[in-house]
Amino acid sequence: MIKFWNKRVKHGVLTENIELDRELEKIKKEIQDSVKKKFAGSLAIRMVDSGSCNACEAECNALANPYYDLERLGIYFVASPRHADVMLLSGIMTFNMTPHAKEAYEQIPAPKWVISLGDCPAMQAPFEKTYAINAPAENHLPITHHIAGCPPSPLEIMQGLLEFLRKI
Amino acid sequence: MRLIARYAKELQNDFEIITVYEETIEKELVSKEQPKIKTLAKKYPAAIWFERKMHDDFGIIVEDAFDKRPLVQQERFPKDIHPLRKDFTNTQLEETEYIPYKYEAISGDGVFQVAVGPIHAGIIEPGHFQFSQAGEDMLHLEVRHFYKNRGIEKMLEGKTLREAKPVIERTSGNESIAYQICWRDIYLQASQQELPLALKKRHALLLELERVIHHLTDLGFIPNDAGFGAALAYGSKLAEDARRKMKELTGHRFGFGAIDFENHFIDTATFSEWLHELEESIEFFEDWIMDIPSLWDRFDTTGILSLKKALKYNTVGVVARASGLSLDRRINSFYLEHGFIMASEVSGDVGARFKVRLQEVKNSITMMQHFLEEDTSTLELSSIHDGSYHTFTESSIGELFMAIDIKDGVIERFFVRDPSFMNWQALHLMMRSDIIADFPLINKSCDLSYAGNDL
Repeated sequence: MIKFWNKRVKHGVLTENIELDRELEKIKKEIQDSVKKKFAGSLAIRMVDSGSCNACEAECNALANPYYDLERLGIYFVASPRHADVMLLSGIMTFNMTPHAKEAYEQIPAPKWVISLGDCPAMQAPFEKTYAINAPAENHLPITHHIAGCPPSPLEIMQGLLEFLRKI
Repeated sequence: MRLIARYAKELQNDFEIITVYEETIEKELVSKEQPKIKTLAKKYPAAIWFERKMHDDFGIIVEDAFDKRPLVQQERFPKDIHPLRKDFTNTQLEETEYIPYKYEAISGDGVFQVAVGPIHAGIIEPGHFQFSQAGEDMLHLEVRHFYKNRGIEKMLEGKTLREAKPVIERTSGNESIAYQICWRDIYLQASQQELPLALKKRHALLLELERVIHHLTDLGFIPNDAGFGAALAYGSKLAEDARRKMKELTGHRFGFGAIDFENHFIDTATFSEWLHELEESIEFFEDWIMDIPSLWDRFDTTGILSLKKALKYNTVGVVARASGLSLDRRINSFYLEHGFIMASEVSGDVGARFKVRLQEVKNSITMMQHFLEEDTSTLELSSIHDGSYHTFTESSIGELFMAIDIKDGVIERFFVRDPSFMNWQALHLMMRSDIIADFPLINKSCDLSYAGNDL
């Protein structure tokens, strides 16, 4: 344990290459300001996976790693739709998940928004239509903003969130 | 004999039921008019899901089955539809009347049900867990899945192997490289070609890198579920670094599109340097994490899967190896020559699965050093031949089995059995002596795929 504290004191905050750091810093600052202005400093996101390959979820989890640390900007992934402002929808909207995704949306208190994440909900991924797929998601839910990519990288998700914040 | 998979295939007038064991493959024909078979579940409990799926997909009746509930088709799914039959061509279903699913449940004084899912609390895939509880104690759990069923088996029919690849590699994001290697093996079998050693090494390197990313994430998440968040910060940082290496090598953070037959430049010096750094970081992590008694108090004896049950339920991968089963598809001369050592633990608890992952990360780093070389070979592919092909790959979760039938140059039947399909069925055995608050920890220590399971 002593080793751990030694290392911690010696290394301090994790930094990346300077260029990316500057870009990230800029985005982070803008997100923070915008969240402060439009969501009183706290934007709660409920992530709903409607049938992804799990890559989009992995990238959303990566948003919490020390490089991106999204929570510091006032954006939180919450455990219940009832605590949420925004639904972040990933996956291809399978037949089996459609009623559950719709129900989760119903449970979010107004005002509320849906952001679709990744190519799947827009039916842009390589998957073709089968009996088990109900995508595109816009046929079932009102989508305010779309973040493209297969999957979008953490940085792209942050940029997408920023675009959403500018839009509303 | 170990049961690996059981599935059906439609022929002209019959269904062929294929049962894959460790040593043999058995085939049985049943007529389409009277598609009846006998269950294997009495001897192999893990046959239940295969048989229930076969009924949903093709309408094959398992006469003496003790579980006749639908598996893939859920409450609002139209009845009497068997979508994997060739004459089913509908691509849009209408929701029908809601017919409740009867969960396996224990009843009695003071016993109550806790339903969790399909949408979970964190950033996770959807699935459902139904607990029978007596106070805090878990008496029983039924795992229910297939919310993510995308109909991939049907989607790929009629496609060439090349056309199918973008879909196959997106079946399960955590195992994309493993799925692609299965695809590659089948492509090579069908074109009757050998892979040059340099390419084989490159692919093996990517597979180990994928394993390292997955394990590092878990090495952070498992302690996090026991209330030790610092490990998550450490593990997720290392995982992010590894994921960026994947992007450097393949142009994609998850390695989508990475497995092909062309040479690619690898900056071996930089990569090797990174491997050394990672090795040091992991040693530091191990030193640190093994020294936290409150954490091991949660890990040890939690979520035990005994060797006997691990065998009986034909578990594979990390779950099997943590329970003392020596099961790994990498036991072959190619891997052994490049430094493979099988990770193994015997206690079968959360701690054992954690330690297996730790050992595997360290071993993967060693192997990646050996796989690393300036790649110079490219394979010119010849045309493919019709036939039935199958292959195995050890993904980060465990043994992955893929079978593809090619007829007239296109896929006639695509079947894949994710390692999770076996291990999910054994999950309920792990919580007999634990409380419900331990469930997330136990579940995370197995870290199974929903997407690969649901197809």
